[in-house]
Amino acid sequence: MSFSTMLYTMGEGMLRTCAIFILTILFSLPLGLVIMFLRRSRFFIVRTITKFYIAVMRGTPLMLQLLMWYFGPYYLFGMNIRGYRFAAIIIGFSMNYAAYFAEIYRGGMETIPQGQYEAAEVLGYGKAQTFFKIILPQVVKAILPSVTNEIITLVKDTSLAFTLAYNEMFSLAKQIAASQTSFVPFVVAGVFYFVANYAVAFTMEFIEKKFDYYK
Amino acid sequence: MAENLFNKPLIRVENLFKIFGENDTKKPTVNAIDNVSLEINRGDVMVIIGPSGSGKSTFLRSLNLLEQPSSGHIYVNDVDITDKNVDIDKHRQKMGMVFQHFNLFPHLTILRNLTIGPEKLQGRSIKDAEREGMELLERVGLADKARSYPNQLSGGQKQRIAIVRSLAMHPDIMLFDEPTSALDPEMVGEVLEIMKDLARSGMTMVCVTHEMGFAREVGTRILFMENGRVTADGAPDEFFNNPSNPRLRDFLSKVLQ
Ligand SMILES: Nc1ncnc2c1ncn2[C@@H]1O[C@H](COP(=O)(O)OP(=O)(O)OP(=O)(O)O)[C@@H](O)[C@H]1O
Ligand SMILES: [Mg+2]
Repeated sequence: MSFSTMLYTMGEGMLRTCAIFILTILFSLPLGLVIMFLRRSRFFIVRTITKFYIAVMRGTPLMLQLLMWYFGPYYLFGMNIRGYRFAAIIIGFSMNYAAYFAEIYRGGMETIPQGQYEAAEVLGYGKAQTFFKIILPQVVKAILPSVTNEIITLVKDTSLAFTLAYNEMFSLAKQIAASQTSFVPFVVAGVFYFVANYAVAFTMEFIEKKFDYYK
Repeated sequence: MAENLFNKPLIRVENLFKIFGENDTKKPTVNAIDNVSLEINRGDVMVIIGPSGSGKSTFLRSLNLLEQPSSGHIYVNDVDITDKNVDIDKHRQKMGMVFQHFNLFPHLTILRNLTIGPEKLQGRSIKDAEREGMELLERVGLADKARSYPNQLSGGQKQRIAIVRSLAMHPDIMLFDEPTSALDPEMVGEVLEIMKDLARSGMTMVCVTHEMGFAREVGTRILFMENGRVTADGAPDEFFNNPSNPRLRDFLSKVLQ
């Protein structure tokens, strides 16, 4: 197999890896916000259930969670899971990362002094306006470094999709390496992850700079 | 009609109680406000004094429901704002409040701190809000700070901005909770000057403060609180010159020396 054929084959895997990455970010960032609100609910029962959910998401391997999301519907409800593979991967990743993001948001919320809420309230802001206009912009600034960490982890975690026999980039690298008895696919994979994370770090640094205008 | 409105008190407080910890058996209960009834008229400059923990802040914060009263009523322009059906956000726009720690919005420029409320909450055009914002900044001598951020200002400057941020909403009344207590001594004067100007312009004000000079100079009415109750309420002259309440005499002798 020529180097260019190999790159071409792995390129397809890279697209799948990127799809997992982008869709997970797209779903888990806002979902984390919802989970954070549930976690801070004034109802004890809602708080407790959410806490348990976060504990499970953080306390069990993502690999195991992917298997549960994929095979669960079949074993629990006898549902036909053909064609559900990719959706299961996105659900599994999103639900897991949303739990981590929720905790990051919660930490960010705690850095905002009570006085900010009160100042907004006495101007006549409602709860939602206060959150989106006054609190959220400050929270975003506070959590950017932690979010960067999490996103970098996600880039590397995408390889866990192999658990569900999904041919993302790293699965293909392993297959080619085995069939061609070559080390080159691993080097290509390594370069890919490194470059991707370099791009992530670069982008996040750019965003952090945008928020540098105060404090 | 207009005349009628002016004869009525702006705020009427009836049998107000605030008990902290009443719903929590693990915490001790505190009667922070213990049956307070009074009226605040337009143009009043009411100064509230009293020992620490006597309920001054709690009373002030009840007036715009930052603290939810345990019982009693608060009427603003004859509307009972403790009624659950009243839109409290609308009322708060008409009641400015200045805090000890300023609470400016750090992510917004000084000018934006002043315009975001009028624009987002009162539907004024950005142009109009900015024009008035600049006028207010001129008034407190900080027009050159319009594009700065709060962290670039001194404490005294921040507090002056906090005052005009409230004024930008065209409030009927301004509430102050120890606005100069967090300031370095050399900055107290500049903030008090703004407050005195405001008082002289006829603004209705309720101020919790230890600045007795301010109370004497522009106060129209002094309140003394202890243990959640108002135990003296009078014009500054009689209040300072021959206080009848022995604990008030004691308190004044401490803060005036
Ligand atoms: N959120 C709260 N929870 C429980 N108790 C409170 C709370 N806020 C105030 N208190 C209590 O209510 C009482 C009145 O407090 P408040 O802050 O109104 O006093 P203050 O007169 O403003 O005092 P200071 O001069 O120290 O500011 C105090 O005993 C205080 O401990
Ligand atoms: Mg106080």
